[in-house]
Amino acid sequence: MKKKILIANRGEIALRIIRAVQELGYTAAAIYEKPDNEALHIRAADEAVCIGDGPRVDYLNINKVIAAAQKVGACAIHPGYGFLAENPAFAKACEDAGLIFIGPASEVIENLGNKVIAREIMAKANIPMVPGTSNLTAGEAGTAEAVEFGRKYGYPIMLKATSGGGGRGIRRIETEAELVESIPLARSEAQAAFNDDRVYLEKVVLTPKHVEVQIIADKWGTVLHLGTRDCSIQRRNQKLVEIAPSLIKDQKLLDTICQTAVVAARAANYTNAGTVEFLVDHEMNFYFMEINTRVQVEHTVSEMITGIDIVRTQIKLAMGKKLSFSQDDVQLRGHAIEMRINAEDPQNNFMPEGGKTVSVYRSPGGYGVRLDGFVYQGYKIPEVYDSLLVKLTVHGYSWNETVDRMRRCLHNFVIAGPKTTIPFYQNLVNDQDFQNGQFDTSYLETHEHLFEYTDQRTEVNKIARLIAEIHFRQENPYAI
Amino acid sequence: MEHIIQGMSIKEVLSTIRGTDGYFITNTARDLSQSDFKNRILLHTDLLAAPAREKAKYLSLEITGGASIHVDILRKQVDPFLKLKLLREKMPNTMFQTLCRGVNLFGYRPYPQNVIRQTVREFAKYVDVWRVFDFLNHIPNMQAVFEEVQAAGKILEPSICFSTGPEHTNDYYLSKVAEILAVTGDDILLCIKNHGGLGTPKRIGSLVEAIKGKFPDLVIHYHGHNTDGNDVGRITAAVLNGAEIIDAADHAFTGYYGPPPILTVIDTLKDYGKNPATVDVEAVIETSEVLRNEREHYDYFESQFKGFSPTVQIHKLPGGAMGSSFEQAVKGGFLDQMPRILHEELPKVQIELGNWWSVTPGSQIIWTTAVSNVLGGERYGNPSGDLKNLLLGKYGPFPFYQPADWIYEKVFGSDWQDILAKEGGKEDIEDIDLEQERASLTKRLGTEPTEQQLVLYLQHPNDAVDFFKFEEEFGHVYVLPPSVFLRRGGYEVGETIHFKDHYGKEHIIEIGPKQLDKNEGKWNIYLNVDHQQRIYSFQEESAAATAAKAPEISGKEITELAQTGDMRAPFSANVCDIKVEEGQQVKAGDTLLIMEAMKMQTPVNSEVDGTVAEIFAELGQSLKAGDKLLQIEIA
Repeated sequence: MKKKILIANRGEIALRIIRAVQELGYTAAAIYEKPDNEALHIRAADEAVCIGDGPRVDYLNINKVIAAAQKVGACAIHPGYGFLAENPAFAKACEDAGLIFIGPASEVIENLGNKVIAREIMAKANIPMVPGTSNLTAGEAGTAEAVEFGRKYGYPIMLKATSGGGGRGIRRIETEAELVESIPLARSEAQAAFNDDRVYLEKVVLTPKHVEVQIIADKWGTVLHLGTRDCSIQRRNQKLVEIAPSLIKDQKLLDTICQTAVVAARAANYTNAGTVEFLVDHEMNFYFMEINTRVQVEHTVSEMITGIDIVRTQIKLAMGKKLSFSQDDVQLRGHAIEMRINAEDPQNNFMPEGGKTVSVYRSPGGYGVRLDGFVYQGYKIPEVYDSLLVKLTVHGYSWNETVDRMRRCLHNFVIAGPKTTIPFYQNLVNDQDFQNGQFDTSYLETHEHLFEYTDQRTEVNKIARLIAEIHFRQENPYAI
Repeated sequence: MEHIIQGMSIKEVLSTIRGTDGYFITNTARDLSQSDFKNRILLHTDLLAAPAREKAKYLSLEITGGASIHVDILRKQVDPFLKLKLLREKMPNTMFQTLCRGVNLFGYRPYPQNVIRQTVREFAKYVDVWRVFDFLNHIPNMQAVFEEVQAAGKILEPSICFSTGPEHTNDYYLSKVAEILAVTGDDILLCIKNHGGLGTPKRIGSLVEAIKGKFPDLVIHYHGHNTDGNDVGRITAAVLNGAEIIDAADHAFTGYYGPPPILTVIDTLKDYGKNPATVDVEAVIETSEVLRNEREHYDYFESQFKGFSPTVQIHKLPGGAMGSSFEQAVKGGFLDQMPRILHEELPKVQIELGNWWSVTPGSQIIWTTAVSNVLGGERYGNPSGDLKNLLLGKYGPFPFYQPADWIYEKVFGSDWQDILAKEGGKEDIEDIDLEQERASLTKRLGTEPTEQQLVLYLQHPNDAVDFFKFEEEFGHVYVLPPSVFLRRGGYEVGETIHFKDHYGKEHIIEIGPKQLDKNEGKWNIYLNVDHQQRIYSFQEESAAATAAKAPEISGKEITELAQTGDMRAPFSANVCDIKVEEGQQVKAGDTLLIMEAMKMQTPVNSEVDGTVAEIFAELGQSLKAGDKLLQIEIA
C-alpha cells in the first residue's frame, strides 16, 4: 500500500507539501475547517477530512488532527508552518501516537522554543549572541539585575517575554526610568498572554540585517546548510521580501555565519529542516537570534539557488533516510527573490482585504519564475485566515537580472478585486537602494516613497467597465 | 505652387495666397459635425479620415472650437487637447482651425479677460488658424483674443457676421472691416461669416466685391451654410468676386445645415475657370470612401427633420443651431409649434430685439425667447437671465437700434428706466483668481491638475470635473469606434469588440451573458477581456427607487409652494449658481439661485421675505421640475 501523509495545514504551504508528497509517490491527505471547504488544497489532495467548524481552532486542535491522521491511516504528519508546526506538544503527541512528525524531535522544539533555554544551549556552543540576561529574578532583585544590565550595555534594550515569539511580548526600552517602570507591566502582560510571567533583557542591535541560514540534518548526524537568506525587508517583524543568498559582499563572513549555523544546529541536536536566524550589525558583527524548527515561508529562495527540494528532503529525512548529498554537493547558483503577494493595502497599514473576491487572476510565467499560490479567479479572501495569495519567486544568474525578472513578473501580474502588495513591490524593485542591495530592517521606515502609488486599473479594464455598463443599462448615456 | 503648411507665419501664408491664382479650401469638419450631427462625430472617425484629409492639402481643417469643446467633454468623453494632439500626429502639415466666440470663447456668456487669455494661449499651442467673431459685431469683444492669437504667432481670422435686412448694407460691413483692421493691422484673413447661409449668391458677390474694392489686399475667407441648399451658389459668387478661401466639407457626411460638399464646389467653379490651388481631388474622394461606412452609426444624431430648410431666409437660425432646435422641439413635445415659432415668432423677435446676428450666444437668446413667447402664452412674460443681460447691454451695444420701450417694461417692470440707467452697459468682468481656481480644482480632483485641465475647468467647471473623473474611471474611450461607443440598446452576447488602446496595446472584448444575482440584488455582466473572464457587477435599479426620483408636481403647485417658501425647480435644469447661504435673510424678488437649461440661464427668485432655512440643491446638480431647491422660513 502507498504511504499516506497527512498535511496538517492550509493555504499555499499545504499545496506545496501535497506536491512533494505526490511526487514521492505517496498519498496526500488534507484536513480542513469548514470555512475552507472551497479551498484549493482540498482539491489538490488525494483525500480530505473536515475536522470542524473552525475557524483557527480545529487546525490548532492536536487531538482532532491526530484523530484525522489515524482515520485516514496516515503514517506521517507534515505540519507546514504556523498552526501546530512549532508546538512541542503536537510533535510529542505524534510520537506517542506512533505517527512520524515531519520535523525535529519534540524536545528539540521545546528547547529551542524557549528563548532562555535556547540561549543557554547556544552559549555553551560559543555561538555569538546579543548580550542579554537570563530570566530576571522575581521582584526587586530582578529590577536591580535589569538596571545593572542597562548600565553595562547602554540603551536601547529589549524587554522580552520568555514565552513570547513572532514579534509578540517584546518592548523596546529607551531609558532606565522606563525600564524600571516597564518590568512589572511586561510581567503581567506576559502572564495574561502566555500564562508565563518570566521576562529577560537583550541589547538592541540598531538597524541590523536579518540573515538566516537554511539547515538540513538527518538522524545520522549529518548537518548541512543551504546557504544564507536575507529577510531584512519586514514590517513590524513580519517578512515581506526574502532573497537568497545574502548580498553581504564579505564571502568569508557568510561562510562563517553558515558554519556557525551548523554548529548551532548540532548543539541543539537538530534533525530535519530548520532555520538559524542571525542579526548582522553595521560593523558586520553577527548574533544568534533563534532557530525556527519548521519549514519557512521563504524556503523557496534556497530551493531556487541550490536546486534542492527542501520539503521532499524533509519527508525523506523524517522517514529515517540519510542525506544523499554532502556539503560539497551544495552549490549556490545565482540569486533568488521571493515576494509575498498579500491581499493587503500597503497604503493602509497593510490592512487585510478580507471578504473581497479575486475577480481576475492572471499570473506571469516564463524562465526563472516560480509561483506558490492558493488563489484562483473567484477566490474569496478569507476574513478568518491569513491574506497571503501567492508567493512569487524568481531566479536569475546575477542580482540585476533577478531584479529585472521580478519587475517584469510584477508588471505581468494581474489581480483584480482586492488590493494587493503588488504596486508596493513595483516601487520596491525600482528603488535604487533595493537594486544596490542596500537594505536592513529599517528599510521600510526609511523609504516612505515606496508607499506612494496610485492604484491604477489597467486601461483595458477601464474600457471594459464602460462596455459592461452600457450593456447592463441597455441604454447608452453617451448616445442620447 | 507651394503648399501652405502648419508652422508658416501669417506673412508667409498671406504672400502665398496672394501669389496664387487658385482658391483655397477649409475642410469645415467641426461645423459639419455641429450642424448636422449635433457635434457628435467622434475623434475615432476623424482619426480614420486623417490620412486622406492630410493628403488632400486643404488650407486648414476646422476641427475644434464652437460648441465642440463642451460636447467633447460632456458627451464624446474626449479631451479636446488630446484630440488635437492625436490628429496632429496623423496630420503633420495641415493647419488646424478653430472657431472662437470672442469674449464668449467657446461658451455662452462673457469670460474674464485673464480666462480668455489663458485659454487662447493654451489652445494656440495646437491651433493654427483662429476664426473669431462676436454676435453683435462688437469689435472690442474680440480684442483680447486677437491680441493673444497674434502674440502666439498664429493666423488670425477676424469675422464679420453676415445677415440680411435693411440695416445690413455693404457700407455697414465696410465700416466694420475698417474697424477690425484698425485693431489688428493688415496681416489677417478676413472671414465673412454667413452662419445662417443667408442671402443670395448675388448679395454675397456684391459684398465680397465691395470689400475687395476698398481693401484689395485683404484675403477673404467665405464661410457659409447650405441650409437652403444654395451655398454652392454663394461660394461661387464669393470666389468669382475675389474671395480666396471658402468652406466646404466631405460629401460622405454632408447633410442639410452644414457646409456643402467640397467636390461640388470644385466642379462648379472649374467651369468658371477657377481651380483650387492645392487640393488633391483623389484624396477628397478617398476621404469620403473612408467616412461613408461610418455614417450609419451617427444616424441617431442627424436632424429629426429631413430636407433642406430654405425658410432659413425667414427664421435665420444658424446652421449650427438647426439640429439642436428640432431636437428640443421633439424632446419638449412642441414639434407641432415649430412652423409658428420658426416662421412667425422668430422673425418677429429678431426684429424686435434689434435685427443683429443670429449666432451663438445671440441665437440661443432669440430662440429661447421665441419658444417661451409661444409656449408661455404671454410674450416676454418669462424672460431669461440672458435676455435681461442682453437688454441691459451686457453683451455689448445694439448695432442698429435698441429694442422698443414696451419690451423693457415687460421684462424689467415699470421702473425699467431706472434699472437700465443703474445697471445698463457693458461692464468689465473682473479677473478671477486663477490660483484659487487651480486650488479648488486640485481639491475636487485630489491631484494637481495640468494647465490644460485648468483651462477646461475654467470653461465648464462641473462638466470638466465630471469628464476628468470619467477618464479616470473608464480610460481613454476615443479608441472605441462609433459602432461601439454610440451603440444603443446594449451588445449581442458573443459579439467581439477589437480595439487598440491609447497606449497602443491591442485588446479584444467578448460580450458574455448577464446574470441576476438574486441574493445580492445585483446584475453580473460577464465579459471576456483578452481571453480572461471578468465580471462587472451593477446594482439592480428597483422600480421604487426610480419612482422616488420623479416627483409628480404641476407648475401651479410649484408656484403655490414658492409662496410658502418651499422653492422647487420650475423646470428641468442644472443648478449653475447658488446665490444664498443657509441662514441668510432674503427679500421677495432676491435671486436665490440660477438654473441652466438649453444653455440658457434663468434666475430663481424668492417669492417671500424670510430666512434661508435649508438648501437642498447642489451646484451642478441636474434637477427635474418640482425637485426641492431650498426652504425659506417666512419672516
